[in-house]
Amino acid sequence: METVAIQAVDREVVPAAVAPEVSLVVAVQNQQGLVTAFDLELHRVLDSYGAKYEIIYVDDGSIDGTYSELRRLAAERPEVRLLKLRTAFGEASVLEAGLEAAQGEKLLFSTCRVRVTPNAILDLLKVLDAGSDLVIGVRHPRRDSRLNQFVSRLFNALTNRLTHLKLHDINSGVMAMRRSVRDSVPFYGALHSFIPVMAQRQGFKIEQVQVEQMAGRFNYSLHLRDYIRRFLDLISVLFLRNYTKKPLHFLGFIGAIFALVGTGINIYLFFYRLFGIGGIAGKPLLLLGMMLFILGIQMISIGLLGEMIIFTHAREIKDYNIEEIIN
Amino acid sequence: MTKESKENSDQKKPDLSVVVPFYNEVDNAERLWNRLQPVLADLGKTYEVIFIDDGSTDGTRELLRKLAAQNRHLRAILFRANFGQSAAMAAGFTATRGEIVIAMDGDLQNDPADIPLLLEQLEHGHDMVSGWRKDRKDSFLIRKIPSKIANRLICSITDVRLHDTGCSLKAFRGDLLRRISLYGELHRFIPALMRIEGAKIAEMPVRHHARQFGKSKYNLSRTFRVIMDLTTIRLLMRHLRNPLSFFATFSFLFFLLGTAVFFVCAYRIVILEQTLIAVNILLILTVLLWATAMQFFFFGLVGKLIVDYGTRRSIV
Repeated sequence: METVAIQAVDREVVPAAVAPEVSLVVAVQNQQGLVTAFDLELHRVLDSYGAKYEIIYVDDGSIDGTYSELRRLAAERPEVRLLKLRTAFGEASVLEAGLEAAQGEKLLFSTCRVRVTPNAILDLLKVLDAGSDLVIGVRHPRRDSRLNQFVSRLFNALTNRLTHLKLHDINSGVMAMRRSVRDSVPFYGALHSFIPVMAQRQGFKIEQVQVEQMAGRFNYSLHLRDYIRRFLDLISVLFLRNYTKKPLHFLGFIGAIFALVGTGINIYLFFYRLFGIGGIAGKPLLLLGMMLFILGIQMISIGLLGEMIIFTHAREIKDYNIEEIIN
Repeated sequence: MTKESKENSDQKKPDLSVVVPFYNEVDNAERLWNRLQPVLADLGKTYEVIFIDDGSTDGTRELLRKLAAQNRHLRAILFRANFGQSAAMAAGFTATRGEIVIAMDGDLQNDPADIPLLLEQLEHGHDMVSGWRKDRKDSFLIRKIPSKIANRLICSITDVRLHDTGCSLKAFRGDLLRRISLYGELHRFIPALMRIEGAKIAEMPVRHHARQFGKSKYNLSRTFRVIMDLTTIRLLMRHLRNPLSFFATFSFLFFLLGTAVFFVCAYRIVILEQTLIAVNILLILTVLLWATAMQFFFFGLVGKLIVDYGTRRSIV
């Protein structure tokens, strides 16, 4: 998947010679005056973890002095790397660009919407080490608005319902994962909010852990329209997850229903005319019958076209995720 | 790759690869291996056996891990989760290195003793030999009857005449097999997919045993999806090179229908002297049908585009 974001990135610092074990991707946007203290604390915590690490700050098109502040940090500490997106591309691009640059085996991501304490990040890492593949942070206690919390709860309940996941805070934007998750789960565009949903399908072990948020200006609320967009995203993710490789199973089903109803109406009209009950030329029902029939077979045709696309690209399809090969 | 290492990897290539997918078959896996090994050892060929665990939850996984650690001829591929039989077979086939590949089920209903016979058939110049469970040991009503119907349907639609397409015991020429891609639920249509690659296909009767251990994973609810897959396969087999002709047929039919309705309209207006208002439904119908005809034509064009610019231009 090509991304605009990656192309628009200023790569600030050369990758380390020896790959670090932990990569922490931190999204930053217009947080001048706050990052330095946060960075200091991050280093303290990650140093205590004991493994070689890198912190990748991704500046999502800040318009204040955040970037120069980050540059100073990057110059001071060799573990700090810096990416800058030319304009604000949003969380998905930040995540993608950051993880693209990350070299570690354990990947951590922290969005700029929610800023959790560095200690919480360490907690995520510990749960990951305990044997899971993906760890989602659960904000507790939450610091966003009541309305936001309510909508968020609804959204989580809906997603859990549709996917059989049992997560409390899918969109916390704070997570830790193994490289294998990143390598086998698509991360582009809208899909990024649903990494757990995709990872679950691939059979990865998902855990969640409560994280403490920092006080103050760090924590934003989502707008209602964000949730509406996410709801649509959820539908497309479920479609992608379940039917990407077999579009006709889905479109064929809907198409068959339309075509059957249409055919039913047409048969009714046929006998109506045959037994001389009356003329059908003036009946709008005729139009409905034909319309449904046509719609049905068109859907099936679109499904078939989809199948052709899949088949001609079948070589690139890997329908499975191998955990281990022995011998 | 240096010359030496290339020779080494050539040496490692076995004559025969056997692929067996497992899903919750803890009672059968080791027994199958014990029956398979002597048969393969007697062939006098180099061989590898690939067992795939499709996310079993009953301990098959651990068993395969143990078996593979003990036997250097046995390779085990362990899936992270249950991805289905097509995926398991695809992973297995991709991993094969053998000149000849044998596929079979892990439920002990196929008999490894049939393998030499399949190989013999393959040597007669066929690219694929499919097993035929002539004397099938399954319950009549829930397994045999649906299977017969499905077989008829699949045969007539895919034009591959086999008595038993559902039999898992099959032998393939490896290079041809590795060209097909299994995804979704296409494992049911391996003969058709092989035919698309131009394979010569034969069949031969094989033994079949009743299931002794474990549960059957067969169910009837997949009928609709099978029908949809069949439609796809049919389109792919007949029209992969030129999907335009397929869609153009629909286009033409709708055009004819639209024109017929148009003439009815014309008749009513000119001969019966009806008003435009009286025939407006028919007029709309005419336009609808003609528009549909055009749309189908464009579907065909898009289809052509897909095929021409797809990654598999070189087939058929």
